[in-house]
Amino acid sequence: MAKTKTDEKLQKIAKDLLESKEISLLIGYAGGSNPGRMRPFFITKPEETEKLSFGKYAVQDLAVFLKKPEVKKFGKIGIVVKGCDEKAVNALIQEFQISRDDVKIIGVECNGVIRQNLADKGETKVSESTVYDKCLICEEHTPVLYDFIVESEEPELAVSGNVKPYADIEKLEAMSAVEKNAFWAKEFDKCIKCYACRQACPLCYCSRCIVEKNMPQWIDTNSEETGNAQWNLIRAYHLSGRCIGCGECERACPVNIPLMLINEKMARDVYKLFGYKSGKDIDAKPVFGVFAESDFNDFIK
Amino acid sequence: MEEKFKEKYFEISAENLKRFINEIIADNYEVIAPANKDGDVFYGRINRFEDANLDVLLPKMSYKEFLLPGTETLFEYSFSGVETGIKDGLEAVNGANQKRIIFGGRPCDAGAGPIMEKVFNWDYKDEFFNERFKNLTIVSIACEKPDNYCFCTEMQLSPESSYGSDILLKKAGDKYFATVTSEKGLNLVKLRQSLFNEAGNDKIPADKDWKKIFEIEKTKSFLDKNFEHNYYQERFLSCIGCGVCTYTCPTCHCFDIQDEGNLREGRRIRNWDSCQFGIFTLHTSGHNPRVTQGDRYRQRLMHKFKIYSEKFDKYLCVGCGRCSRNCPEDIDIKEVAKDLAELA
Repeated sequence: MAKTKTDEKLQKIAKDLLESKEISLLIGYAGGSNPGRMRPFFITKPEETEKLSFGKYAVQDLAVFLKKPEVKKFGKIGIVVKGCDEKAVNALIQEFQISRDDVKIIGVECNGVIRQNLADKGETKVSESTVYDKCLICEEHTPVLYDFIVESEEPELAVSGNVKPYADIEKLEAMSAVEKNAFWAKEFDKCIKCYACRQACPLCYCSRCIVEKNMPQWIDTNSEETGNAQWNLIRAYHLSGRCIGCGECERACPVNIPLMLINEKMARDVYKLFGYKSGKDIDAKPVFGVFAESDFNDFIK
Repeated sequence: MEEKFKEKYFEISAENLKRFINEIIADNYEVIAPANKDGDVFYGRINRFEDANLDVLLPKMSYKEFLLPGTETLFEYSFSGVETGIKDGLEAVNGANQKRIIFGGRPCDAGAGPIMEKVFNWDYKDEFFNERFKNLTIVSIACEKPDNYCFCTEMQLSPESSYGSDILLKKAGDKYFATVTSEKGLNLVKLRQSLFNEAGNDKIPADKDWKKIFEIEKTKSFLDKNFEHNYYQERFLSCIGCGVCTYTCPTCHCFDIQDEGNLREGRRIRNWDSCQFGIFTLHTSGHNPRVTQGDRYRQRLMHKFKIYSEKFDKYLCVGCGRCSRNCPEDIDIKEVAKDLAELA
């Protein structure tokens, strides 16, 4: 693949950081297993930066690796992030999982990434019908926080408004409780309890997840109606007000449960009720970590 | 030992195949086939032939759930006063799959059945698995165009292998040649014998000369000599331990036994489990022999390409490539196996 200006700039930044020993590991992207894929790429030596790249197939949220013990061992880490992914870095800083001083943020301007299932079939064009819904509502084409910024060479994403992102949320909001329950019962029925949604989430960092606590067993272990409902609901609540909307859970899900409908709905509700959006500001207190008298409290009767 | 079944060969027109499937559905057979769902293709029950997507190479998940369900009840118990009731879970499994046909799967998926059967009968005979496996009838279609993630040829199978299929169909223009490899397959044909024409073995189109891009024996030889190697720790830094590789794999068969219940009743179940999970090997003491994701992915490679093959005469992988296609971090097992073969 020909080297783009974006790639060259990324490589230069990465090389300088590794040579000056400001970081001991760089997490970025490189070409993947087919022309429509990129993959996470880990670099410890300046001479390895040649393969570093970025583009419309860079779907992964690399912030997920910041929670990994094997990665944390490296100490100072440089990470390549899109605007959405960068919010995960911020949320991890806000929740004291990483220190701002230990991470060099290499932000890349992004005008949308192509849905992986389409890219696998040969889709090459970034358009409102080929990118993820998150790209259509993106407020961070340029990351909100960075140490270095790499400009995009892709043209700005043209949004006509004909494609409605997360359209099913409004359909769901209009449903009765019974109908909603039926909708989700059908979706959760597909769940196979692999917990890929959890593993792919940059903010699911508990060293021992609630489902793994078995004295007592809080969550049924079965992948049937009870166990699946319990797991999916608890996941939704643990991410409310925290999810930054990268969509990795939904992308990782091998049975295509529309998890982003839940996450996005919860994010909208949190914004409506508390005026808070996750991962926008490292100095903000996480919404569930604070209490204000002005908080919504109509539910106390 | 059962007497070896002598293969039989038939021809069936595309039109008659459609009729055949529709008629057995009308006879209350449950036909599971690749079908469009949620923007992808999954195995699912079809109500008519047209609902099957036979153009797709492979559905996203395998049909392992029909042999080893994600959750299976081993027994149920109840207490009432001093009375204790036990219900064997096997009762509900008896006769399972008797009227279930997997139609339109591929030789790799079919190959997974006998590979799992060896494990489930190695010392303890797993009656749950055996009952399901014995009854399930598998009608596969040979692949014409494997993709870049496929490596069945390297895994001792081929896009046209009949191993594990009760019937293997090979498309030739507007008809199919059927190789019937078992009594189960023949019984299925007999349901509508008139739709099939007997054909001689010589009429079955010869297999193509499928090329290998690496030798799996070399991969094994690397694994034999290198339990500790930087490759594992470096390459699998990008593994997030999501377990999608194992859950979508047709041959991964690890399960976890759990109890669910209360003071009055409950059940013992087995759920799918994965060697990619951190707690898979966590000891009660708190010690974990597999600390990193590198250690865990190495285990998957070792089990597939070394440990299983030393016990049985096959590898624990059919080369379907699902783990690679579905890996959120783009770890390609074919590329890994090839890398290791080259390092050997």
